[in-house]
Amino acid sequence: MKKGLKLTDILVTIVISIAFGIVYKIWGPLYYAVKPFGLHIDQLIYGMWFIAATVAFLIIRKAGVAFLAEVAASSGEFLMGSEFGLEVLLYGVVQGLFAELVIMAFRYKRYDLLVVSLAGIGAAIGSIFMDYYKGYMGDLSTWNFMLLIGFRLIGSVIFTGFMAFGIAKALEATGVTNLLRPASKEDYDALNQ
Amino acid sequence: MNNTFDFRETWLHKINPSLKLLTMIFLFILVIFIHNLNQMILFTIMTMILFVFFTGHPYKRILLFSIPFLFIFISTTTSMIFFGKGDTTILRWGLVHVTEESLFRGIHLGFRALTYALLGLTFALTTRPVYLFYSMMQQLKLNPKYSYSFMAGIRLMPIMIEEFQHIRSAQKVRGVRTGAGMNGLFHLFKFTSIPLLSQCIRRAFRIAVAMEAKRFDYSKERTFYYKIGFSKVDVVFVGYFVVLTGLSFYLAQEFPFFPVTDVRD
Repeated sequence: MKKGLKLTDILVTIVISIAFGIVYKIWGPLYYAVKPFGLHIDQLIYGMWFIAATVAFLIIRKAGVAFLAEVAASSGEFLMGSEFGLEVLLYGVVQGLFAELVIMAFRYKRYDLLVVSLAGIGAAIGSIFMDYYKGYMGDLSTWNFMLLIGFRLIGSVIFTGFMAFGIAKALEATGVTNLLRPASKEDYDALNQ
Repeated sequence: MNNTFDFRETWLHKINPSLKLLTMIFLFILVIFIHNLNQMILFTIMTMILFVFFTGHPYKRILLFSIPFLFIFISTTTSMIFFGKGDTTILRWGLVHVTEESLFRGIHLGFRALTYALLGLTFALTTRPVYLFYSMMQQLKLNPKYSYSFMAGIRLMPIMIEEFQHIRSAQKVRGVRTGAGMNGLFHLFKFTSIPLLSQCIRRAFRIAVAMEAKRFDYSKERTFYYKIGFSKVDVVFVGYFVVLTGLSFYLAQEFPFFPVTDVRD
């Protein structure tokens, strides 16, 4: 088997991600519409911004897909002229990297709810890491800071874990993912009979 | 995505896209290290000059694009102003605790977010995605299979939106009803996103097979339809930021309008 991603894998990942990029773009106004309510309610919906990574990974199931997907989705959002501007691109890179690292820790062998939820938490940690330096988050009062982190982690498990898993499962049911899976041993056995 | 409206081409459009992107990323990192409120405000003004006068779009449209900036500014400042740490209390009301330190820090963050938004939108308004990816293949040696996939993906965007409208119309014709409340919203999301995504994957797969057949993933001895190089405007662009960053630093030291030199403490 050839090493790395084939053009097919890359294009499918990017197209899925750009579809999510459109969602990311719409999510921006929603996010800052919720934000002025205070108490970090907005953080509960933050997890949507990591979803491309896990959905793409669950569909393609190869190394590097989660990272590529998150970068592609954020650059799609960026090129559409996101309100957050340049931030989204760099956040996308860091979030994708952290999600990829979590998936890598499982050696790309597991495609279940636990792994994608953990990948979501990984991406959330990546985003918190960026916010810490960019947004002086350490200078929030302690209870407020904890609330922010808690809400963001919960949100990322809901969206990046449960929702992504739900979407991937529904896509499996449509049969479209069979296009992308390499022929398995059973397929060859079936031919040999 | 600037190819949908008409605009005047300015010198910002002629800058090498890879250089522009790298400069923007460098500025992003630079801005993280600005802790002086005065310098932050001056820096924001100098990016605003580029955005307002040199993107080549009519002022009405520039004004329209600026509306979200106001929301960004308000939403970024408020949580730091209300819940930030600090000693000199200005106002205390329930959980809200406004201090002088958190007030200045909040305003600083607002300007920082504004700078990022301005830089990003200036980039998006003055860069054609096709040139960006061609330039990245030539100057940054990005593998063609990634570049062409990105370009194909961007081209598919209008088709996806059309597809979305088809699905919505089909649902209307067939009388799809979803219940009210969260459950209904969830079903609506599922009934729309799954057909949309599955159709996207099918289409992407077909395009990818065609592209592989035409050797779009072949990287050795590749020639390019658009040849993108460097020119004088690249020097002007980098020079603009070098000179004005220096100037903002100098002015912030010599003529500060706020008595805050470091918002962190």
